Amino acid sequence: MTEVQNLNPTILNVADLPTRNRPSKKYSDYESGIFAAVPNPADFLSSDSEDDDLLEEPIDEQEIYDLIKLISDPEHPLSLGELAVVSLPDIFIKPTLPNVPGSPLQTVTVLITPTITHCSLATVIGLGVRVRLEQSLPPRFRVDVRIKEGTHSTGDEVNKQLGDKERVAAALENGALMQVIAKMMETCQ
Amino acid sequence: MAKSQITLLSDLTPPSLERTWLTSPHPTLPIVATCSSDKTVRVYSLTNFKLLSTISGGHKRSVRTAAWKPHVTGESVLATGSFDATVGIWRRWDNYGKNESNAAEVEESEAASDEEDEEWRFAVLLDGHDSEVKSVSWSPSGMLLATCARDKSIWIWEDLDDGDNNFETVAVMQEHSGDVKCVSWHPTEECLASGGYDDTIRLWREDLDDWGQVACIKGHSGTVWFLDWEGPENTPRTSAEQDTSSLTSAWRSQRSLSGPRLLSCSDDLSIRVWRRLPKEFSQMGMSSSAATGIPSIIRPTGADENWEEDAVLPHAHELAIYAVAWSRRSGLVASVGADGRIVLYEERFVTATDSEAMETEPPMLKTEWSIIAVVDGAHGIYEINHAAWAKRADRGAVDEAEEQEVLVTTADDGSVKVWTVQR
Repeated sequence: MTEVQNLNPTILNVADLPTRNRPSKKYSDYESGIFAAVPNPADFLSSDSEDDDLLEEPIDEQEIYDLIKLISDPEHPLSLGELAVVSLPDIFIKPTLPNVPGSPLQTVTVLITPTITHCSLATVIGLGVRVRLEQSLPPRFRVDVRIKEGTHSTGDEVNKQLGDKERVAAALENGALMQVIAKMMETCQ
Repeated sequence: MAKSQITLLSDLTPPSLERTWLTSPHPTLPIVATCSSDKTVRVYSLTNFKLLSTISGGHKRSVRTAAWKPHVTGESVLATGSFDATVGIWRRWDNYGKNESNAAEVEESEAASDEEDEEWRFAVLLDGHDSEVKSVSWSPSGMLLATCARDKSIWIWEDLDDGDNNFETVAVMQEHSGDVKCVSWHPTEECLASGGYDDTIRLWREDLDDWGQVACIKGHSGTVWFLDWEGPENTPRTSAEQDTSSLTSAWRSQRSLSGPRLLSCSDDLSIRVWRRLPKEFSQMGMSSSAATGIPSIIRPTGADENWEEDAVLPHAHELAIYAVAWSRRSGLVASVGADGRIVLYEERFVTATDSEAMETEPPMLKTEWSIIAVVDGAHGIYEINHAAWAKRADRGAVDEAEEQEVLVTTADDGSVKVWTVQR
């Protein structure tokens, strides 16, 4: 990490990053477009009935995004959200076993866009995202972190490593690697 | 369709509080060893499902794998492999359960040594691998121990059995191009199978004092997570209308040429069965050097083997399959993985209806694999890392004349569950 690989990355304004309460310009089309008249489903879900407190609040893509957007890039003093390494449209939540009715298992897929196609830190960034999600989400979630297709020269290799449970488990016991990951997480609240 | 049933018999208690990777049943005693991320190995009883002892202090990181040495009398010997890159050998005198029945006797005669007999003795640490050890396996005689690691190598160690815990490195094989995830010895021969991150399965034999690769099977399109061998006496199941004795004897004579088959499971969500081609067939086919790519001048051509795909088991898993277990008692296959599912498969003879199959001499025996039971969420929401068959030893089994078996599954939350199967 002595040599910065991408000297001039594209940086997004923090104010423009999507949030739940204040949609960014990119998504605000919905509000003025044909859906303007449709009430936001969130308005119904947040009714103040007492029973609601007992139910597990469903976890959506925005919440996943909020968990990972503040992770720091290992070589820039910027977050993965600001660098658009992670972005809301590249996060997907799907039932893991769609054919098993009532199965609580859900798969979170996060597609990562490295700032340059030969970034050697792609694996570390991916590992950071995976570790962050595994530590924050309930165990019923299966975390699938991969490089977005066509954005990295050795994407398949990186994906195979990130998908290997045994390698990820061993990495968590590797002190030097975990120091790097911990540093990346410092900026998460 | 699935007529059989898998029923939970018991949990092993108390469980580890961290991820457990694998549970190895003892070859003769009703005990199992469970490897945990908390750096310990827990030994549980299959008689009352309780924790007997915890082996700790030997490894600095997760214990990933363990295997009991076969054919040891009066003593149990366990090999453990850890993410700390070492392999540990542990010994303990066999007196589990004996203390309960004749406790008084033991106290009188062995009062002095009683205390230390309870303990697992750390015998030796095998140092050699550069990174996490993933799998260990004892040869059928117990003379050789195979170990493999993320460093892409397989080591074969000889237990010198000299009373001084000396092991000698017999071979280091480095043909795999990625982590070697699993090693497993042939049930009767000194032939080792390995599988790994390079998606291949390789077979290894000793030839003129040198261990070398005799086959490389490229059939999976993802990491090969686990391997298991068919029992030497296994025969597929026959249905009521089939002539059991003639099918069985025909099967045995065909089998004597190719030997036990190999079972593999993978990240590609498939489970495959592999069969060695009998020597005369394989030599008629391609020249054997073509099979391994090693020029015959380096390895005598006689050593190379041709393995072909015998079957692909019905698709049943939605995420990576971490383990398969082929029962030596019933011939049933169990598989488990990241989707939290246990699946049981059975192989049956198919009655040949087309005349073609009848004309060939000897008649080619056909079999078919089918799913006979599925348990979803077998360990709740957790991933299942391992499955193994063991002899049933609790009181519920006493009445039956026939030897019963249980399936032992090991999961991410530290739980180990024991299941019975009703066919």
